[in-house]
Amino acid sequence: MNRQTGSRVAAIVRADFLIRFRRASTVIVFLLLSGFAYVWVPATSTGRTLMQIHGARVLYNSAAIGMGTSMLASIFIGLFGFYVVSNAVRRDVDSRCGYVMASTNMGTSEYIVGKFLGNVVFLSTFVFGFMLVSMAMQVVRGEAPLEPLLFMKQYAIATPSTIVFVSVVAIVFESIPFLSGRIGDVLYFFFYCASLGIVASSMEHGGGGVLRYFDFSGFGYLFEQTRHNFHTTSMSIGSSTFSRAMAPVTIAGLNLGGGAWATRLVSTIAPLPLLLIGLLFFHRFDPARLRAAGAKGKRGWMRNFNALARPFGRPIAAIPVRGAALKDAMMTFASTPFTIFALVGISIASLAASDSLPITFAIVAIFIADVASRDRRAGTTGLIYAAPRLRERFVTWKLLSSAIVAMLLLIAPVLQIAFAHPIRLPALLIGIAFVAASATALGIISGNPKTFIVGFLTFWYVVVNDKGQTPAFDFAGFFSTPTMRVTAMYAAIAIVLLATAEVVHRARLRA
Amino acid sequence: MLHLEGVSKRFRGGNYGVRDLSLSIGSGVLGLLGPNGAGKTTLMQMIATITRPTAGTIRFDGVDVARNPNEIRRRLGYLPQDFGVYDNLTAQEFLSYFAALKGVHSRARINEMLEMVNLHNVAKRPVGGFSGGMKQRLGIAQALVNDPDLVIVDEPTAGLDPEERVRFRNVLADAGLGKLVILSTHIVSDVESVATHIAIMNGGSIVACATPEELMRVAEGSVWELVVPSERFDELRRTARVSSAVRKSDGVHVRIVSGEEPRGGATAAEPTLEDAFLYTMREKAAA
Repeated sequence: MNRQTGSRVAAIVRADFLIRFRRASTVIVFLLLSGFAYVWVPATSTGRTLMQIHGARVLYNSAAIGMGTSMLASIFIGLFGFYVVSNAVRRDVDSRCGYVMASTNMGTSEYIVGKFLGNVVFLSTFVFGFMLVSMAMQVVRGEAPLEPLLFMKQYAIATPSTIVFVSVVAIVFESIPFLSGRIGDVLYFFFYCASLGIVASSMEHGGGGVLRYFDFSGFGYLFEQTRHNFHTTSMSIGSSTFSRAMAPVTIAGLNLGGGAWATRLVSTIAPLPLLLIGLLFFHRFDPARLRAAGAKGKRGWMRNFNALARPFGRPIAAIPVRGAALKDAMMTFASTPFTIFALVGISIASLAASDSLPITFAIVAIFIADVASRDRRAGTTGLIYAAPRLRERFVTWKLLSSAIVAMLLLIAPVLQIAFAHPIRLPALLIGIAFVAASATALGIISGNPKTFIVGFLTFWYVVVNDKGQTPAFDFAGFFSTPTMRVTAMYAAIAIVLLATAEVVHRARLRA
Repeated sequence: MLHLEGVSKRFRGGNYGVRDLSLSIGSGVLGLLGPNGAGKTTLMQMIATITRPTAGTIRFDGVDVARNPNEIRRRLGYLPQDFGVYDNLTAQEFLSYFAALKGVHSRARINEMLEMVNLHNVAKRPVGGFSGGMKQRLGIAQALVNDPDLVIVDEPTAGLDPEERVRFRNVLADAGLGKLVILSTHIVSDVESVATHIAIMNGGSIVACATPEELMRVAEGSVWELVVPSERFDELRRTARVSSAVRKSDGVHVRIVSGEEPRGGATAAEPTLEDAFLYTMREKAAA
């Protein structure tokens, strides 16, 4: 690497860092994560613990809290980090700064590497902040003195592989036109879940073989160590219940003995060759290639889907802003024709598997995430505000639009529950309203879809892993019939979120 | 200096952005005029090495641009159409970023450029709060930061108020001395005071390329002035090619581009560049 290359890559990394860390949404997401650190290291007097092994809670020392929170950080980065960083190239396309870059001596490989390192630095900073908050939790709730080096060691072993994996995949997906939009967002979700599940479960049972070198999440290694030290893989991380009758277990944390350093190192560098795929597909802002990618597959879908969606739209006719909300909802399908496949997939899944409801909510969240912020990002807010009443009713309009899309996508599970378990229907409808309200409020407040995606999927992850043990988490009746109190609570949260968005929106109008 | 021969850009759908275009130009300011969709942006993107021609060659000082893009990139400054900024960066950070990509690391040079475009007083402010004109001036600063020999600016004055347009034009005229500046626009007044050559594009081809004086000379005898009552003006506008019209107390003073003398007491007028542009477009359409 010559000096010029180094300075160009450094300039890209620095600019990405500054751009990202000066956004309000970054601060919101960071505060959310810090808040979750507080939730996930509960006081043991509440009957819950950060980590339990075979029913026994772990003693809160630096190894335990460091290991537990580093694994949680790995999950967050793996599941949600992608959505936070997967706009690095898009930003240069939208601003047209990419055209200027393409007219400089900046090499395509320098750009790809710069963006990759930009992602790494950003995610690492997030993880570092999360680690500091977790250390603070050790000071607050620890049962042993804080050992910073041991604490950091846990993060150094667990998180680099995920950070590199997510940073690479985000750039590769952005470079391939087919994967650079919503399709990529959805595919990544399944891709990550599958890779996590396959590797971790095979290593959990003592196998793994070559898969141990692709343990990007670090969970396979965690299971392997737990099985080796405690002769069990029955464990949970993240605010779990434990048996008070059992004595706390003292753990030494993750270590790199017995050649483990090699598997962790290879897991960290294994995704790097994928950058070559990104290099191969990257358009270097060539407008001819960008135009060709953008034009693919859009014609025809809108007309077909409009015809399909028209019957669903009729009940909306009673609402004053019906036309605009319905048209905006249709815009989601027009801009992302893949949504129609999601509709079909969700419908089939709801008929084939009764427990598919949680995963369908995660998919719906990804599809409605940008409804509230897309006008602002496209620079068409002025046009929207010129339309009758939309300026004043922007929040209501976007809420309706998001709710219509969510309802259309979830129409099969809604009908199924309406006929088979009508008592669960109110909770499900409130759950949908809660998701639509969250997407609308966070989209309007932060001005981008990532805040909602990260915030909601984090919450969703907690809910799904809780498996209904905490009834208050079950916002849509995934696991049982929620009480009226829980349903009312989520309705109230939705109202508070919307009211906040309304206040922010009106303040912006006055400014 | 810049030599284009048989250059075409054919898109995947089969339509052409630029078709069999040939052009040679030395130093100075080349005003690229043409209606929207004429192919100006595509032509400039090919010269700026952002997209490759599907046929033909582009040479700058003898170097084939498509084969050796890095040769020209070293000497190129480019300001694309609808240029955006990173809202969260300050003007200084923004300019430093693009300077670094171009291999320029001198802080003095960055400050010099900010001073040249009159943004030195707001260098530490986030560019998200800048007006359209300030953003465009920052855009021209990044285009010039590497002291390029070839400057390409695409529709730089779109959306700017008259004062900002004049200021931008002056910045460009000062900075373009001794270089080849290609400035595309569909607003004739943007180029008439600064361009040494004018190329008129339509339908992906060059319709005419000459000095402004030559273009205006060709239109001599085809430009007319007459005064018509307001009620006749609408009809005249439908039937004749009106170059400009000004309402005064005695009626509407109209300039018409026409090969034949219009009825109603028209007098021959000296062509402006706007008239020459309309005349050339009309001749091309007639041909």
